[in-house]
Amino acid sequence: MLRLSRLLSKRWLSSSKPAGSTAAHYFPHEPKGPHLATDSIPGPKSQALNDELGQVFDNRATYFVSDYTNSVGNYISDADGNQLLDMYCQISSIPLGYSNPELLKAARSDEMANALINRPALACFPSTDYKQILQDGILAAAPPGHNKVWTALSGSDANETAFKAAFMYQAAIKRGSRDFSAEEMASAMENKAPGCSDGVILSFDKGFHGRLFGSLSTTRSKAIHKLDIPAFPWPKAPFPALKYPLSENVQANQAEEQRCLDAFESIIESYPPHTVAAIIVEPVQAEGGDNHASAAFFQGIRDITLKHKVLMIVDEVQTGVGASGKFWAHEHWNLTTPPDMVTFSKKFQAAGFYFHDKNLQPNQPYRQFNTWCGDPSKAIIAKTIYQEVVKHGLVEKTAATGAYLYPQLQAVLDKHPDKVLNLRGENFGTFIAWDFVDAGARNKLLAEMRARGVNVGGCGDVSARLRPTLVFENSHADVFLGALEDSLKAL
Amino acid sequence: MSTSEQYFPNEPVAPTVVTSEFPGPKSQEGIKSLGQVFDSRPVYFIADYEKSVGNYIVDADGNSFLDVYAQIASIPLGYNNPALIEAAKSDKMIRAIVDRPALGNYPGKDLEEILNGLLAVAPKGQDKVFPALSGADANELAFKATFFWYQAQKRGGHKVPFSDEENTSVMKGQAPGSPELAILSFERAFHGRLFASGSTTCSKPVHKLDMPSFNWPKAEFPSYKYPLDKHEEENKKEDQRCLEIVENLFKTHSCPIAGVLVEPIQSEGGDNHASNEFFQGLRDITLKHGALLIMDEVQTGIGATGLFWGHEHFEISPPADLVTFSKKFQTAGYYFHDPEIIPNVAYRQFNTWCGDPARMILAGAIASEVVKHDLPAKAQKVGGYLFKKLEDLQAKYPQYLQNLRGKDRATFIAWCFDNSAARDKFLKDMKTVGVNIGGCAEKSVRLRPTMVFEQKHADILVAAIEKVLSGY
Repeated sequence: MLRLSRLLSKRWLSSSKPAGSTAAHYFPHEPKGPHLATDSIPGPKSQALNDELGQVFDNRATYFVSDYTNSVGNYISDADGNQLLDMYCQISSIPLGYSNPELLKAARSDEMANALINRPALACFPSTDYKQILQDGILAAAPPGHNKVWTALSGSDANETAFKAAFMYQAAIKRGSRDFSAEEMASAMENKAPGCSDGVILSFDKGFHGRLFGSLSTTRSKAIHKLDIPAFPWPKAPFPALKYPLSENVQANQAEEQRCLDAFESIIESYPPHTVAAIIVEPVQAEGGDNHASAAFFQGIRDITLKHKVLMIVDEVQTGVGASGKFWAHEHWNLTTPPDMVTFSKKFQAAGFYFHDKNLQPNQPYRQFNTWCGDPSKAIIAKTIYQEVVKHGLVEKTAATGAYLYPQLQAVLDKHPDKVLNLRGENFGTFIAWDFVDAGARNKLLAEMRARGVNVGGCGDVSARLRPTLVFENSHADVFLGALEDSLKAL
Repeated sequence: MSTSEQYFPNEPVAPTVVTSEFPGPKSQEGIKSLGQVFDSRPVYFIADYEKSVGNYIVDADGNSFLDVYAQIASIPLGYNNPALIEAAKSDKMIRAIVDRPALGNYPGKDLEEILNGLLAVAPKGQDKVFPALSGADANELAFKATFFWYQAQKRGGHKVPFSDEENTSVMKGQAPGSPELAILSFERAFHGRLFASGSTTCSKPVHKLDMPSFNWPKAEFPSYKYPLDKHEEENKKEDQRCLEIVENLFKTHSCPIAGVLVEPIQSEGGDNHASNEFFQGLRDITLKHGALLIMDEVQTGIGATGLFWGHEHFEISPPADLVTFSKKFQTAGYYFHDPEIIPNVAYRQFNTWCGDPARMILAGAIASEVVKHDLPAKAQKVGGYLFKKLEDLQAKYPQYLQNLRGKDRATFIAWCFDNSAARDKFLKDMKTVGVNIGGCAEKSVRLRPTMVFEQKHADILVAAIEKVLSGY
């Protein structure tokens, strides 16, 4: 598979319309470029539909109302018939393009109908085929070193159930072999220690891990995500702010990472043992502005967590499932010991966390538990996604597309040093971002791109991020680059 | 022809029991195998959903149980319901599965129609909805809405901007940006198992141990004496006592209480009921103190109590501020009506998916079937029939049917044993006579059948209970 995809990628470099294109295989009728039907986007139909929607649903964040029936491959259609090259992909959550024929087949299967209408309470009455569905899909895709999974419903849910596993794990170590004490049982019912944990989860400045109360306490991206919501008093460590280009700032960046590791360790040391139950970190801080750090930084995190017996949770909600040029982005680090838990959602359509230490299953049943414990219908989709990614070598192809795109993007941006800077994500698939001089310029660029039929998202305060599908190829990259060049000139 | 006969011409006429132990050998094998990759310790048996039909669940060994637990109260219309199969195979559904949108940013053209499927059965007084993915998620999003609203009131309305101090302190997780505010819940309540919902859950220590919790207060929920008609005065006093505790907590708790969260019937906590007056009392207290009232209908919703929503029995006025749902609706979220419960700016109540259209389409189909076949009224009728039969059994076996409750609440019926060992033995023994039945709290049995559980099923259930109890 690897060899085949390398061969293919070589051919891609010489032609922007390769015969081995997976997109062409899936989507023989994918548009060759954007189609603009209205003068501006959202067009009149989108606006009218959105006004109606607003009567029953908070519609203020709507970009446009989509027509998914007419969306195909990398192109999303709106209600007015505009077709946009989609490089935002439902906030980074469409893996194989719109109307993917293999996903359609899975969705039409009897297996799917059964999973949808006879939804089990999975931990009490699992179906005869659930083990196999997990085995062939979610678990087959497990990161190196992981062989168990707990399934959830969203990224926030995945992270919070991972936190629960961490708290119970650390409490079990502190408790040793003894049973819960009467005092623990009684105080738990009063929301008080010792029954309720005084443990914490450590996260990083600018991290994003979700928006429920536990996950939101670890989210540090923007005030608007957090205002007015009670939060746990959990600590945050600084995340490296690297200087670009990396090759010209090696020493400064090393010092910055060391500074952050030192701060990280001293925060952990300021708590009694087993109180920092876990740390949570994204391979790339995506919502927070696509902030990268080196493999050495993450190895440093791993070493410190092992030293202090703190669990390491890697949040792969946005980075997972191939976009970085590895199936899981943290595979780029080649850690000496795998992380303790890896959470996933978004592009996998199913959510949950991987683990390998059986002690992350609490000592008694019904502690990590809820009615549904996941959703078999999503596990079926995840299985299909995984099988297609492998079959078509999409991880390797995405790495190759990224390698094609990155230098050309660099060349385009280099023409406008007064407007854009800090291109990042080299050798990281299509998981690419760059900064603008200010938020106004960024927002204007995104609007210019949309007007040219390319849908791109922002992140952080001043960044644009590319989050295309795994069937985004060189031909699509060319369309994007053309639109970007024009849009930058119009800034 | 009854609704279940219309849906399920091939529904078994009685349970079939083919193994002598439960779980049977094939289930045991499956549990062991699944356990290598997924926590299978709570598994009762491995189910064969393809073979399950209507009110009967079939296990891997071929046992066919009358199911009155129904996936912890979450199967609305029976297994393999043909109307739901049709919805599951519809183009709309296929599209929703394959191209799952970020609903807050790129809603599909059909979103309004899909939401209207949920809104068609909104509780009285509610006309807006925010979708979620589970009961815990629904409740926590309702808490967030409550806190946004509460702080906006305090700030002087939606138009007053956040202060610099709020914007800075919030990034440190400190007040005033991250304010200390509470949701008040009740002893024995169950509202979910994430961190905030877990802080409001008060059912069993095992649900809460070793989790960090918010310092949120709990009041007492009435403990009635049964039968109700013989203890009217005592129970009235009990209501009053509990309401006073709520009122008191508003005055004494260490931080402001922004919302009161309550189940129409405390389900996981033991099927504890309270009177219309108690719930109206809660409504009055929340209004008086400028807090919101959140009704958690996760387990009680979708007809099982004889009305579409359990709290509609109470006829409280003005209506609750938020009503959360999940389970039998197969989708989750909260209903509301006050436009000010929508936060002042976009992206505050927000997440990637903001719900799941696939699940909402199914909910729309469920809602329309429930309405079309008038299933809450039918459940009320069969519940009345069943309750009478259980009363007769109670007279015969008073020790095993204590505190029978759920009269006039359709099939939402429960009773107590002396202790948890006796209750657990009963639940297990019911398998030998072909009934899958669940417990709640320490020593209660709860009935949570589907909405197409009918008189003939009730007869089988009652005969099975009698068969087991007659051997005690």
